[in-house]
Amino acid sequence: MGGLVRYRGVEHQQRDFAEFYATSRDACLRAVTASVGDPQVAEDLVAEAFARAWTGWRKVSQHPAPRAWIVRTALNLSVSWWRGRRREVPLADHDRAAGASALPPAPGQGLDAATLAALRRLPARQREVVALRVFLDLDTAATASVLGIAPGTVTAHLTRATAALRRDLSQRETASPLRKELS
Amino acid sequence: MNDHEVLDEVRDGLAGLHMSTPADQIIARARARRHRQRLTAAAATTATAAVAAGAALGVTLTGTTAPPAHGGHQPTQLTAFTLHSGPHGTSVLTMRKGDRLNPAALRSALARHGIPALVTVGRLCGTGGQPSDLSRVVSTRRAASGIVRLSINPAAMPAGMRLSIGYFSSATGFALISDSGRLTCTVGRPHGPQPATRVGGAPKPGQPVTRVGGPKAGKPAS
Repeated sequence: MGGLVRYRGVEHQQRDFAEFYATSRDACLRAVTASVGDPQVAEDLVAEAFARAWTGWRKVSQHPAPRAWIVRTALNLSVSWWRGRRREVPLADHDRAAGASALPPAPGQGLDAATLAALRRLPARQREVVALRVFLDLDTAATASVLGIAPGTVTAHLTRATAALRRDLSQRETASPLRKELS
Repeated sequence: MNDHEVLDEVRDGLAGLHMSTPADQIIARARARRHRQRLTAAAATTATAAVAAGAALGVTLTGTTAPPAHGGHQPTQLTAFTLHSGPHGTSVLTMRKGDRLNPAALRSALARHGIPALVTVGRLCGTGGQPSDLSRVVSTRRAASGIVRLSINPAAMPAGMRLSIGYFSSATGFALISDSGRLTCTVGRPHGPQPATRVGGAPKPGQPVTRVGGPKAGKPAS
């Protein structure tokens, strides 16, 4: 009897987790992609973060912002990932970060390379603020809590990030007037 | 563009990005990760237990066991000494100089092999006026430097007698002592007419000791 109850509990948890995953995975992926700048790396990080969430699902499901937990875990993993690889020698142009030309739009990826390039030019903290405020729709207080910074700092980062993005995106529109017409 | 338009454009720029990994794969990944963690934890626990056991061996001289080579008593293997059953009902004692000897551990190990003994560190105890049966009870084997190896025959132990072992840093002395006799312990120098056996180290002038196992094995010191 106890085993049956436990099985039903696990089944319920699995269903609960699957529902959370289905409704949150894309938003988390976009937020992490905006922060790390690489969709492939972001997908791996988010998958690992969700796997960790499933391991501790009882606690994570009680978290006030489980999506923010996923993104925060993925970003922490990103730091560990880079720490483990910082002594590696990259191949020529293999992971060049700057410029839209360095990241041609990959067919089927469904992302705007220019937007991603503009995000990558932002400082890391500004990218994280944009990721949480824009892609997870967290308010200033929640963003400040997740990042461990003051709400005023969140506002300042978002203001600067918005200004930089506006500048970048305006230049793109100026340089490619046909882009909007073609898209 | 106002701020909202900028942020909307950023949101739209990544709107086509979708997570392709199915939920089942995430759960499988979590299970694999948990399995790895359990294996790692089990390995760490085993390693910790092994280290703790090694430390216990070094400090308290509790032993490990292996099947007896010739039947009889379960062997006791320690860092400072090893005691196991030898042929013809004998017990083989190997002592390693330089390791800290726990006399109580050696005494109890000998007792388990049917050898009543008195083990002392830094002194050798004897009783006067006893017959010399030591050579029938204890015989030496050739051993590497720093190792004393003795074959002890408990069947040859006279009734009412015990084996006295005096453990020194550079030598080990042996004697047979009577349970009823007056026990005299001396630092490095056994008293009484009964020859004692001393393994390793230089003989002391005038010492009533029989040296075996050293450079002049078997040669009476006096």
